[in-house]
Amino acid sequence: MSTFKYGDEKITDRDIMVAIPSMAIAIGIIVFPRYLAEKTTASDGWVAVILGGTLAVLITWAVAKLAANFPNQSFLSYSSYLVSKPVAVVMTLLFSFQGILLTAFELAAISDISHQYLFDRTPIEMVSLTFLLVVVYAVSGSRAGLFRLNMMFLPIILITTGLLVFLSIGYIEKDNLLPVFKTDFRGYAQGTLDSALSYTGIGILFFYISLVRHPKKTSGMAAFGMSWAVILYTIIYLTCIAVFGEQSTANIRFPLIELAKSVEVPGGFLERLESVFFVIWIMAIFNTTAMAFDVAVMAINSVFPKVKKLNIIFTLSPIVFFISMIPQKYMEIGKLGDWVGYYGWGMTGTTAIVLWVMYKVKGAKQSGK
Amino acid sequence: MTRGSIFNRLKGKKQGNTSQSPVGKHTGFTNQITKNLDDNLMNVKQMMGDPGDLVVRELTIGGAGTRAAIIYISGITDEDLINNNILKTIQLNKKEFESNQLDEIHKKVIAITDVQKSNNLDDVSFGILNGNTAFYLDGQETVLLIGTTGGESRSIEQPDSETLIRGPRDGFVESIETNIALVRRDIKDPNLRFKQHEVGKRSKQKLVLCYVEGIVNPELVNEVSRRLESIDIDYISDSAYVEQWIEDSFLSPFPQILNTERPDKISSDLIQGKVAIIVDGTPFALVAPLSIGDSLHTMEDYNQRWFSATLLRLLRYLSAFFALFLPGLYIALVSYHPGMIPSTLTYSIAATREGVPFPAAVEAMLMAITFEILHEAGIRLPKVIGQTIGIVGGLVIGEAAVSAGIVSPIMVIVTALTAIATFSVPSYSVAIAFRTLRFGFIIAAAFLGLYGIVIVYIMINIHIVNLKSMGIPYSTPFAPTFTNDWKDLVLRAPITKLTKRPSYLKTMDSQSKDNKPG
Repeated sequence: MSTFKYGDEKITDRDIMVAIPSMAIAIGIIVFPRYLAEKTTASDGWVAVILGGTLAVLITWAVAKLAANFPNQSFLSYSSYLVSKPVAVVMTLLFSFQGILLTAFELAAISDISHQYLFDRTPIEMVSLTFLLVVVYAVSGSRAGLFRLNMMFLPIILITTGLLVFLSIGYIEKDNLLPVFKTDFRGYAQGTLDSALSYTGIGILFFYISLVRHPKKTSGMAAFGMSWAVILYTIIYLTCIAVFGEQSTANIRFPLIELAKSVEVPGGFLERLESVFFVIWIMAIFNTTAMAFDVAVMAINSVFPKVKKLNIIFTLSPIVFFISMIPQKYMEIGKLGDWVGYYGWGMTGTTAIVLWVMYKVKGAKQSGK
Repeated sequence: MTRGSIFNRLKGKKQGNTSQSPVGKHTGFTNQITKNLDDNLMNVKQMMGDPGDLVVRELTIGGAGTRAAIIYISGITDEDLINNNILKTIQLNKKEFESNQLDEIHKKVIAITDVQKSNNLDDVSFGILNGNTAFYLDGQETVLLIGTTGGESRSIEQPDSETLIRGPRDGFVESIETNIALVRRDIKDPNLRFKQHEVGKRSKQKLVLCYVEGIVNPELVNEVSRRLESIDIDYISDSAYVEQWIEDSFLSPFPQILNTERPDKISSDLIQGKVAIIVDGTPFALVAPLSIGDSLHTMEDYNQRWFSATLLRLLRYLSAFFALFLPGLYIALVSYHPGMIPSTLTYSIAATREGVPFPAAVEAMLMAITFEILHEAGIRLPKVIGQTIGIVGGLVIGEAAVSAGIVSPIMVIVTALTAIATFSVPSYSVAIAFRTLRFGFIIAAAFLGLYGIVIVYIMINIHIVNLKSMGIPYSTPFAPTFTNDWKDLVLRAPITKLTKRPSYLKTMDSQSKDNKPG
């Protein structure tokens, strides 16, 4: 039915460029200033954000470059070629599990935060169930549709967050930023690790680049997209520290939302804007969740090509819902988040290194198509 | 679809001696034109059931007095034309014709340009039903079909559904010939194509697919033609039938094909590289593809200077936002997030809601439904008593409902603002979509507050990104992104900067060359 080439399931470099920050900006953006402020002195955390970000950009570039060497091939197909079929299947399933975990974590976190900021009487299951259903609706649609959603939502998210930073300028106290460079090496190292964990989901590139028709320039675009996220994180971190100071930032559960709470719209039209900002960040979290879930589905589908996509979705969603219900307190949710972060980074890093080494040994196979 | 298929079918039934024809008695005629004039006339009359508006005028030709007849249906023909250019010229002609009388009459006597020959009763009767005049000559197996289509029709007026302050004042009418002429007058390009189709198994209405060859993407034309071929229906009362038959998703609240009464709209869209469908019998022409970005545009945007046009567009986006979200936001704020409203306002809202027995959601639902009823009734009411609606709406619903304590004054303001905002959406079919979705937001806000609103908003977006119009993503040029097209999307760049055709249409013309991959 689709007569125009851009209307089909293929995507462009630019879609990847937008997908990367959409994936990276998630729950992490709301909580990371706290972790970072715990580890570093005054405003020094920005060094850690940049270092962690650089690491993320590098990995993004490496993963994209690797995947782009096998244009229009699925992860399973090129990793089978590089590291033999059984290993590739295990890797794919591990990635799928990461997708499931990430979806569950975002679900748990979003219900927790909405419970705190939006409504405290509505049962938490209701909140996460509706969110999950919408994610399922998005994933059951076309995959290209997900990328279009990123494109629709990312500008809204960036503009709103920029607006928030702009509105906070009046509350900035210079002294909070000083003194500079007083953190010890250990602090920087830990901070870097923590902030790197916030850049979730580079692993999606292993899968999504197979949808790009001409992936030659994709690696650069993906790295560029990741750098947006790094810049955004740096600005947010500096703003939080400048407004609250290091001590309070370290003790606030969701620093970014508190920031939204403290600003005022000129004219007094609306007050306590944190709900509005949070609601808009729900879109960012939604994008991450939908893509994480979609990658999980895509990975499983590549291992079991005969099973229908919808059946996979309907099988996975109860599992996701169940996992998201396990952590009870927000501390446990945070733990789950750390877990998911470590797992994702470990998975992506290891896979990237192993595949790159094998790629250097074996060389590229002629494109399968 | 072949013309005259019913006639063939009826004939087949007759020959098979099954007299149970679905459309009454149709026995006693043959499909062939014979040499005998009386038989021929009898055949035509029998076939049509000898209706009162069928005019059969017999006459003799020349000095030898060869018998002849003209047949037409009064009311759909131009009788002056028949009298002056057929009847009169034949009667005044006293010359004798030698070998081929019919040819001679065709060439020398009948003073009308459009003359066709036929020797088949199906074609003849179809021609007569279309307003042509059939000329029978005794002893001839060929019939002349003379183009005399005419009759009463509405003259060109300003379209009611899309009025502009500045812009051409003409609108389409019910006659397809006039409508095609209106477009032709705008675009004098030999590449302008009108590909004719026929729709309606029984009504046999003309439908033309217009496009400008060399601009439009041929794949688009093929796709639309393919879908038009698939239409299988007896009669279409409006182009809406065509729209609903060929649209991509009938489950969507959004219109996927634009309808308009304005020739200038059609012309400018054709030049952009879209296709238009004009159907006989309706002033509403269709334009495809439609994307979400087009739905808030009007022709007026291009007729005003770019600065004011841009501001007006922004205003329209704002009112679209109100039309969709306002009642939902009100409910969410009042019932779930009262902290967000400035405290003084909260007190006054609380004070006005003092006597109201219902929760905000019920109140909003009541008012929204009342408004929809008023709106619907206002359309159906004759113009003379239309003012009643104003009184009923303004006084009874507004004043009385508030003083009776059923709704709060704030709610009336919210409803009124929403209503006005809905009317500023230029396309009626888009406005209906917004009105429908508004209820979704009201319900979502009633259950989940702001969270519910954003969830429904995300769902609508999911729907939009998966929707297509003639195979083109509905969400373009936002996503898939065509930044070149953003000059004429939310903003309206100066005309001098709008030199390129929309890239999302992938037009053939080099003027809109796009160098993006994929």
